[in-house]
Amino acid sequence: MILSKIFTSFTFRFLVSYVAWLSVAVFMVLALIYAFIAYDFFSDVHRSVKLELEALSQAYEEGGSEAVDEFVEVHSGPTRLIRFFYFVGDAEQRKIAGNLNEWPDAKEYRNGWIGFDFESLTNMADPVGNEFVALSTQLPSGERLLVARHYADVLNSTKLVAGALTRSMVATIILGTIGGAITAGLSLRRIEHINTTLHRIMSGDFSERIDVSGSTGDFRRLSENVNQMLDRIEVLMTGVRQVSDNIAHDLRTPLTRLRNKLSDLHDDCSDPANREQVEALIEEADGLLGTFSALLRIAQVESGNRRSGFADVDLCTLVSDVIELYEPLAMEKDQQFNTALARVGKVTGDRNLLFQAVANLVDNAIKYTPEGGEVQVGLSVEPDCYRVYVADTGIGVPDADREKVFQRFFRVESSRGCHPGNGLGLSLVHAVVKLHDGTISLEDNRPGLKVVMRLPRQSSASKKG
Amino acid sequence: MRILLIEDDLSVAEYIVKGLRESGYQVEHVADGKSGLVKATTEEYDALIVDRMLPNVDGLTIIQTLRAANDATPALILSALGEVDDRVKGLKAGGDDYLVKPFAFAELLARIEVILRRHESSSAVTRLKVADLEMDLLAHKVTRGGETFNLQPREYKLLEYLMRHAGQVVTRTMLLENVWDYHFDPQTNVIDVHISRLRQKIDKGFDRQLLNTVRGAGYMLDDSE
Repeated sequence: MILSKIFTSFTFRFLVSYVAWLSVAVFMVLALIYAFIAYDFFSDVHRSVKLELEALSQAYEEGGSEAVDEFVEVHSGPTRLIRFFYFVGDAEQRKIAGNLNEWPDAKEYRNGWIGFDFESLTNMADPVGNEFVALSTQLPSGERLLVARHYADVLNSTKLVAGALTRSMVATIILGTIGGAITAGLSLRRIEHINTTLHRIMSGDFSERIDVSGSTGDFRRLSENVNQMLDRIEVLMTGVRQVSDNIAHDLRTPLTRLRNKLSDLHDDCSDPANREQVEALIEEADGLLGTFSALLRIAQVESGNRRSGFADVDLCTLVSDVIELYEPLAMEKDQQFNTALARVGKVTGDRNLLFQAVANLVDNAIKYTPEGGEVQVGLSVEPDCYRVYVADTGIGVPDADREKVFQRFFRVESSRGCHPGNGLGLSLVHAVVKLHDGTISLEDNRPGLKVVMRLPRQSSASKKG
Repeated sequence: MRILLIEDDLSVAEYIVKGLRESGYQVEHVADGKSGLVKATTEEYDALIVDRMLPNVDGLTIIQTLRAANDATPALILSALGEVDDRVKGLKAGGDDYLVKPFAFAELLARIEVILRRHESSSAVTRLKVADLEMDLLAHKVTRGGETFNLQPREYKLLEYLMRHAGQVVTRTMLLENVWDYHFDPQTNVIDVHISRLRQKIDKGFDRQLLNTVRGAGYMLDDSE
């Protein structure tokens, strides 16, 4: 749970890309360092070979092959740190002097540089490996001179450098990752704190604010801004709610007056045709009044004030009472009314609202199920909640409309006209379930609809006080 | 029957006064809490209709004061605050019933009649009788013309409530509150089905229909015909 949260967090993804870019940058810097060092090494090698070749040609021009032998004796002695090999040959590359036996079979590079492999060398008991670099030149008199240098030591040095650089790259990345992870963890904790607070606010407790004490800098500013935004939203929400409540409230009174006057008219009416019309008008007015009181009720429930009246409610009795109230209605429509009630404990809540919610669901189920259909009401226990479901074999709700049915005044297109209702029943159920910290979902009953309501075993609202 | 109405909203007051007078009650109206309290304590009334929110002294205080002085005049509270909490508070303060504004006059009238009657006959009864329909409260037995009915517990409760208020209009909300003990708005007239089932049992096969529907108001169990 917490791991998956870390992996999906922005911070983690930021960290991953940060490590990737860090690796690239470190690699580039270290590669550059390596290139400089290697270049220095090899230019050193070249310079030394060039100097030896100049010294050799000078020695040959001054003293001939004896001088060369003497020169070789001095320059390739075992006391020397770098081992050079010399060859002086005539124009046909036959040996005149030096410690190489023959002109090596070499690859020619530019500017007289050659490279060759050499298994074992004359005058030397032990083979010294086969990495050589050599420089040759031709004197004006036709003799060809060659100086070769064994450069395994240089290779070893560059290898050492490369190894050191690789290790420091690994160390940099590991340290960078650890540092990044710690930073990410710290900021994740603060974001988590903000998130949990926002979650509480979204679940209805709008008075909640993010705690800014203890945080500084960016997070404090962020939290303060979020808090200010919440203040603003709260003001706006209260405004909107007040306006809609006032409309419903203010219209309810004149509407009642209208209804009462119609009722007076009804009593005074002697003509039966007129009476019937007045009755229809009264019914219409009652429908409007019902819609307004349903709206006000939803607003009241959504405001969360009803929590103050929460008490222990025996869910099993409550559902049985709903069933008892509605069963005759189903029987009148020749519907099979099945119940499956498990014995469950109590929930903390408002019994009248819970009754209203379950009653609305059962009412809908009966209303939308054709004659001879089946309505099922069940109550079962789940690990941390009680599950109340109402299933029918009616027309059901298309997938696309599943979310919308909880909106005020929303009615499934096919049910408009042929079924009475104001489109507020499920909105009220939704509001009641949310008030009780529960969840509600619609499922396909194949055919029909199954509404599942889950109520927490111990409502957290009671813990909050 | 003298009724005192304490209500500061003049249009509502006028409407109630007119309606109650037409129904044969004597009504006095005062518009503020203080003079209402004075009138209620100094004069005799059969019932009080008290708005909850009043200038000077609020409705609940008036009723609490009366009850503290051992005055048991039945009182109906009117209020724009319709939630269960408010209702409970109102009834705890000593109100006999609670009606949320706005209301249909039929509902007010039905409730007034019920609290008046309740006050009249608070003595324990063991038998209820409406025409030839009889209910033995001790034996839980219902008979009509010698025939015994087999009623479900809820049907029994429903009939008992109707019989206790025989001759009075009983609204659907009153039945839900008193027989089912839930305060909620049914989306359909589910009560009608229960009434018609009860009617099937007690009225079927008899010449006189006792259980009648009062259009626009509710039901009435009635032997006057």
